[in-house]
Amino acid sequence: MKYILRQTALTLVSFAFLYVLLAAASFVVFPDPSSAGPRDFQAAEQTLYMTVPKYVVLGRSVLDNPDRKVILVGASNTGVGFRQKLVQSNLGCAQVSNLAMGGANISEVRQVINLVHEVQGDQKRGLNTFVIGLWFGMFIDSEVKYSEGDRHRGETDIDIERYRYGFYHRTPDGPVAVLPAKWLDAGVMAIRPFLLLEKAARQARAGVNLVLTGRRTAQRTDDERESVVMSDAEKKKALQYWKETMGRANDISPAQVEVLRQTIHALLDSGEKVVLVNLPIPAWHRDASPYQPSYLRALTDLLQEFGEQPNFSSLTMDDLDNDLDYSDEVHAKRHLADIWSTRLASKLDSFVCLETPEKSAPKITTLRSSEQVTTVAPGNN
Amino acid sequence: MSLTSPLFFAFLATVVVAYHASESVAYRRFVLGAANAVFIASYLNDVTQVLPLIAFLALGYVCVSALYLRQSGLLLASGVVAILCCYIFLKRFSFFEGLGQLPFPYLTVGLSYILFRILHIMIDVRSGDMTERIGPLAFFRFTCNFLCFVSGPIQRYQDFSAMDGRAVVQLDASVVYAAFSRIATGYVKFVIVAATADYAFTFLSPHLLQPSGLTFLKLCAVYATVASLYTVYLYFNFSGYMDIVIGIGILLGQTLPENFDRPFSARSFLEFWQRWHMTLSQWFKFYLFNPLLMFLMTWLPSPALTSYLGVLAFFITFGVMGVWHGTTAVFVIYGLLMGAGASINKLWQVACTERLGKKRYRALTESTTYVYLARGLTVGYFVLALTCLWVPELPQFTHLLARLGVAGVLVTFVVVAAAFAMAALSLDLIQNRIRIPVSLSAIQNGEITKNLHLAGKMMAIVAVATLLHKAPDFVYKAF
Repeated sequence: MKYILRQTALTLVSFAFLYVLLAAASFVVFPDPSSAGPRDFQAAEQTLYMTVPKYVVLGRSVLDNPDRKVILVGASNTGVGFRQKLVQSNLGCAQVSNLAMGGANISEVRQVINLVHEVQGDQKRGLNTFVIGLWFGMFIDSEVKYSEGDRHRGETDIDIERYRYGFYHRTPDGPVAVLPAKWLDAGVMAIRPFLLLEKAARQARAGVNLVLTGRRTAQRTDDERESVVMSDAEKKKALQYWKETMGRANDISPAQVEVLRQTIHALLDSGEKVVLVNLPIPAWHRDASPYQPSYLRALTDLLQEFGEQPNFSSLTMDDLDNDLDYSDEVHAKRHLADIWSTRLASKLDSFVCLETPEKSAPKITTLRSSEQVTTVAPGNN
Repeated sequence: MSLTSPLFFAFLATVVVAYHASESVAYRRFVLGAANAVFIASYLNDVTQVLPLIAFLALGYVCVSALYLRQSGLLLASGVVAILCCYIFLKRFSFFEGLGQLPFPYLTVGLSYILFRILHIMIDVRSGDMTERIGPLAFFRFTCNFLCFVSGPIQRYQDFSAMDGRAVVQLDASVVYAAFSRIATGYVKFVIVAATADYAFTFLSPHLLQPSGLTFLKLCAVYATVASLYTVYLYFNFSGYMDIVIGIGILLGQTLPENFDRPFSARSFLEFWQRWHMTLSQWFKFYLFNPLLMFLMTWLPSPALTSYLGVLAFFITFGVMGVWHGTTAVFVIYGLLMGAGASINKLWQVACTERLGKKRYRALTESTTYVYLARGLTVGYFVLALTCLWVPELPQFTHLLARLGVAGVLVTFVVVAAAFAMAALSLDLIQNRIRIPVSLSAIQNGEITKNLHLAGKMMAIVAVATLLHKAPDFVYKAF
């Protein structure tokens, strides 16, 4: 037995030595950015976190501060179309963070909002303005949307990041936090060596790609996207792709609409502001897609339901639908993104900066990962 | 209990510490028995799920006990039939759906290997090879040894009995380091190599099974890649698992039999099966091939026919071994393919020996070209035959074959065989030229370097496990 104990001790000491070495290296290679203030989560690739979902899950504690905040959530077109730096430069009264996530559906958007709430005290919620970028491709049921073989069916990218480091525990009712939110930064500190190794693995893969294909990633650069013109064959393929991806013949998921409705309700109930943005898509896609009509109907209903509420606003940019301004069937080119960003900043300037947050005692609302929403009166928990 | 779960490591640490707390044989047997029970319980959500397993074990023990009392051939045959029927019923083979099934979910993990152990005891008791009476607790410890429960290796009772509660491996610093290193290597294979291959396989395989506009050559290239990735996954998953359990066995004073011996260095299909899943092929050799060949030779006692009877026995043995792997019709095809591979190999040996004579045939098999050609063909055949394991449903399997056609299968076979032969030749040439300087070798074997190496493996395992985010499962658990 003494040999086993000795070897265990030697192994643990060696492991600890390597661990400390890598942790130190991670601080040298990727120094921590400032601990508070806005962050461009879309720039995840330049950080130790590599991907937006990981950056949002592990780096969100910066959103726990006493400043007024504008938090952008949505899918990749929100991420690409609203440039954090441009919106921020046109908006002096609030800190802008773009937490949009490639491939997000409405459920995942709600998860992102939940993650933000987890790190914020209830009193700070009233300082939030959530800008929710919408288009029909986000209204897909999670079971359909997230069904690849390398994940548990229905689990979003956020779920994967939550479980990956053991910060959350998988249960039949969804993720349950193992690590309290106040310990998040300490937890992230503890896993830095592994983040560095993962980063190194991804960089190595990019290096292999560069050798084999002459490119580090398959993703196009902004310059390349600027010059793209979609062919008819590509448009046909795109329509077919969305037909296969939506999982329904010609309408969007009513369950996802309901999730969005409950999410807005909960945010408004807790004193937060909400801006719904109907994101434009190129005219050819809007006119050819069978999903656009049901999406517009759902959006109209939501605007009717919430339109009168003082903390709710909406933005539509229907005129920005020129086919040539888009690099594919969804994403705005850089020059259009600049226009989107300026328009959003203008809207927010009047909605956020010219009004003070509602002071009435908010109901504190907990958004669960399941489809239910629980409302708790203050002081009852 | 997943091999990669924190629960498993806690369980393992507890068992090792408890085992070494006393040198009393009775105490250690108690610890091992309890460990087996806890390990099995970890698979259960409800106590009823274990009842069929208990019934299966009880039936086995009754059969074994009866054979101790009366070593009759008829009793053995009846016992074997009863055990097989019970096994087939519990495993829910699709061919026997008419038999019905139990109206509740139950544990089937480990049943296949328990079957082998029970049959081995019954046959050995009947033949007089085993005279030592087995008590019910020893029977449980042997058939349900947690180290071998899920997927072997398949031990003989005589070997197990010699170390049941007795530490046959004397632990010292180097033995313990070797055990730790073996376990870490197993996890590297299991969590890094196999899981990465599985990740790529999962990404690519849908292109084969779903309709897509792949050209013929692209289709063959994708098939060759996917089939090769699955083979890499299967080998590193299974052999990694074996490294882990054999390493743990050493810490518990046990020497478990090896299950793999560099299978991809085999120069023939028959040699391949002497190196791949060795305890399974040895079991089949002892308990099916040898008796079957003896029976056939008794039935047709012409010396001229002996080689051909061997071919027939190979075909049947490998066929049965293939069918054992799964419960659908595709596994019958797998069995037939394995049987055909072994038979063709045997016929080739017989024909070459007849035509060239033993000496010239041996000289031929030693030539470099022949060696790498044979290695390539062996692996190519095995890789394609394994398709049955990753396309286990007949409609999908026939759809894939129809897409490929005979030409597609042949092209893929040649591509895989040639690629493997070239890779093996290159690796062997490089290996033969690399000489580690004595000074570097001394550093490599130093205490600090060795332990940093071990810790580096552990660091890499944790990093890749988090990167791939979905815990790898043990593939042979399903067989």
